[in-house]
Amino acid sequence: MIEVHDLAKEYHVGDHVVHALKGVTMAVAAAEFVTIVGPSGSGKSTFMHILGCLDRPSTGRYVLNGRDVSTLPADELARVRNETIGFVFQGFNLLARTSALENVELPLLYTRKGVVRAAERRDRAMSALEAVGLTDRADHHPNQLSGGQQQRVAIARALVTQPSLLLADEPTGNLDTATSHEVMEIFARLRSDRGITIVVITHERDIAAYGTRTVDFRDGLVVSDKMNAPREAAVGAGHR
Amino acid sequence: MKKLLKHPVIDTAIKALNRNRLQTGLTMLGIAVGVATVLAMMAVGAGAQRSIEQQVRAAGLNQITIRAGNWRPKLEESDEAIAHQGDARESLRHPLERLHDDVLPIAFHPEDDPMEKHDHPTARQRLGDLEAGLGSAATMTFDDAEAIREMPGVQYVAGGIHENVRVHFGEKRWFTRMHGTDVQMPSIKRAWTFTAGRFFTEREQANADEVLVLGQVVADRLFGAGTRPVGQKVTLWNQVFEIVGVMTSATWVVQPAPGDDQFDAVYMPYTTTQRLLNLSKLNDITVTAESSGDISRLSREITKLLRKRHGIGDNAPDDFTLITQATKALTTGGLPPSVARAVASNVAELEKVTLEQLALTMERASRTMTWLLAAVAAVSLLVGGIGIMNITLLSVTERTREIGLRMAVGARGRDVMRQFLFEAVVISAAGGLVGIIVGVLASIGIARMLQWSTVVSPMSVLLAFSVAAAVGIFFGWYPARKAARLDPIVALRRE
Repeated sequence: MIEVHDLAKEYHVGDHVVHALKGVTMAVAAAEFVTIVGPSGSGKSTFMHILGCLDRPSTGRYVLNGRDVSTLPADELARVRNETIGFVFQGFNLLARTSALENVELPLLYTRKGVVRAAERRDRAMSALEAVGLTDRADHHPNQLSGGQQQRVAIARALVTQPSLLLADEPTGNLDTATSHEVMEIFARLRSDRGITIVVITHERDIAAYGTRTVDFRDGLVVSDKMNAPREAAVGAGHR
Repeated sequence: MKKLLKHPVIDTAIKALNRNRLQTGLTMLGIAVGVATVLAMMAVGAGAQRSIEQQVRAAGLNQITIRAGNWRPKLEESDEAIAHQGDARESLRHPLERLHDDVLPIAFHPEDDPMEKHDHPTARQRLGDLEAGLGSAATMTFDDAEAIREMPGVQYVAGGIHENVRVHFGEKRWFTRMHGTDVQMPSIKRAWTFTAGRFFTEREQANADEVLVLGQVVADRLFGAGTRPVGQKVTLWNQVFEIVGVMTSATWVVQPAPGDDQFDAVYMPYTTTQRLLNLSKLNDITVTAESSGDISRLSREITKLLRKRHGIGDNAPDDFTLITQATKALTTGGLPPSVARAVASNVAELEKVTLEQLALTMERASRTMTWLLAAVAAVSLLVGGIGIMNITLLSVTERTREIGLRMAVGARGRDVMRQFLFEAVVISAAGGLVGIIVGVLASIGIARMLQWSTVVSPMSVLLAFSVAAAVGIFFGWYPARKAARLDPIVALRRE
């Protein structure tokens, strides 16, 4: 699914050069659930942006589904983001004054396979909402939803184009513990039911335990990469 | 419509514009004022142009008036009648005139010369009206008019006798102008319309009947506004006249006014005037040419013909004055003062104005107006456009995260750009629509209140709207491109 070879990224901040990534090589197989942990400035967010085709590496190669996307032009990257990747953010990033349903429809406005008709958009958005158990909140606006519900709407939005890769950057950062576990349950279920590859960044160890594999970043390098105990155990730990 | 409003681009635009309702409204107002100004100015410009054309045509660019006597038109003429009389005596010294007088039987000696001593009761004695027959003498006859009528290129001919008269209706009386004229006069004066009745007929002219057509002003003074005095009897020179019609101006550019000699006037067949006043001459002959371009040639031909008919030697001056209506329109007014001034200031000697010069001057005046219009339009639309740029930039700044999100879920730069361009165009187009409504209303208001002619053509409405939309695209371009070039990561991080 994902193969990165010697991925490096440097930023120029004034006269300084910041080496955010210093050569990361790893692979993620299809239907894997990888959690990435690491302190601030470890390069995990930069890594995530490159995985999400929001950014290009300075050097190195990124092969997604067998295709080298590290040198694609901007419009092609947008297409990959639309068709192959679903994003979930820490701050939900829902459009205000816009219903949950319309928020979920958003990615369908930018599909390249021709215009998606309004009725079809609606149907697909509804089934995405169904996957996160929020069909009864379809007409609610974000300010009428709890944080957990908002994040579930955001997950539905990420799912609506039926991507094979779901990327989440600290999806539980703004949620309380119980809600965090609910959200992680959804990710775990999406992997097991639909075989979606999932990469989640997190600070918290018990959240990271939801992954089938946890990768530890530090100073722009992978310092540890190990398989986790089976999910059932993690669930048990979650519910204590 | 509802479905269309649900279109995502439109829906997003409406939501975005709703967010900054006040700013959006003010910007729309700016564009609306610009477009309204453009439209109103165009309407006034087109109206002025049309009213000049109408004026000149109504006054009759194809019209020639030949007046008895050889006085010259002056810019400021206080009393036409006096000028007439002074020169008319001169002309009567002409040998042919004396010869002509001698031939006539003494008893029927016409009273064309008011200075002549008559050995028969004059009009004022016979009719018992001291004012009767005080008008000018004339050197032209009905036969002259008939001869002109035969000339090729001539459309209508009307001989005229003009007097100052007092018209009585019961206790009421009104001092006005009397025009003894020809049945063809309404065809010559195309700017006439009849509010009641009709003009006199061929038969009434042939019979020299005592019928009278009143100008609007006279009818209002004698009978009150809004009445239809057709069939009523009035007294003039102690004779009873039947009113057969009331006429007024067909174009509101020329409004009937007391003392205007046209609508403050009464009209009767010239034959009636000649019979009652015992006159054989005409004060003037009005001629229209079939083509206005033919005026110069026709003027020369008529001069030649009349000189021949009046037996004027090569070195002797004309005993008539030929003027074209183009000069008359300029000297006697009728044009809006500003236009007349603009035209007059470009012409050194008004009498020598030719049609070509007049056309050139009008073109120059309207070009000046067009430039002025363009300047006002440019400034107001520039201000409106800057407003659009401002609000679109504000929108881009406020919605940076949203832009980042849209890009993250697959929007290309061009999708983002289209969205913001569309919003800019929505503001400008909505402002344009409001501006069109305001502009049309303003044009109507200007027409009503200032008595100016305004013309709102569909073309100018379309143009105003397109200009508004173009302003939106032009000034929305920079902010939209700025949005499209945002880095999604940076945009997503913006708070």
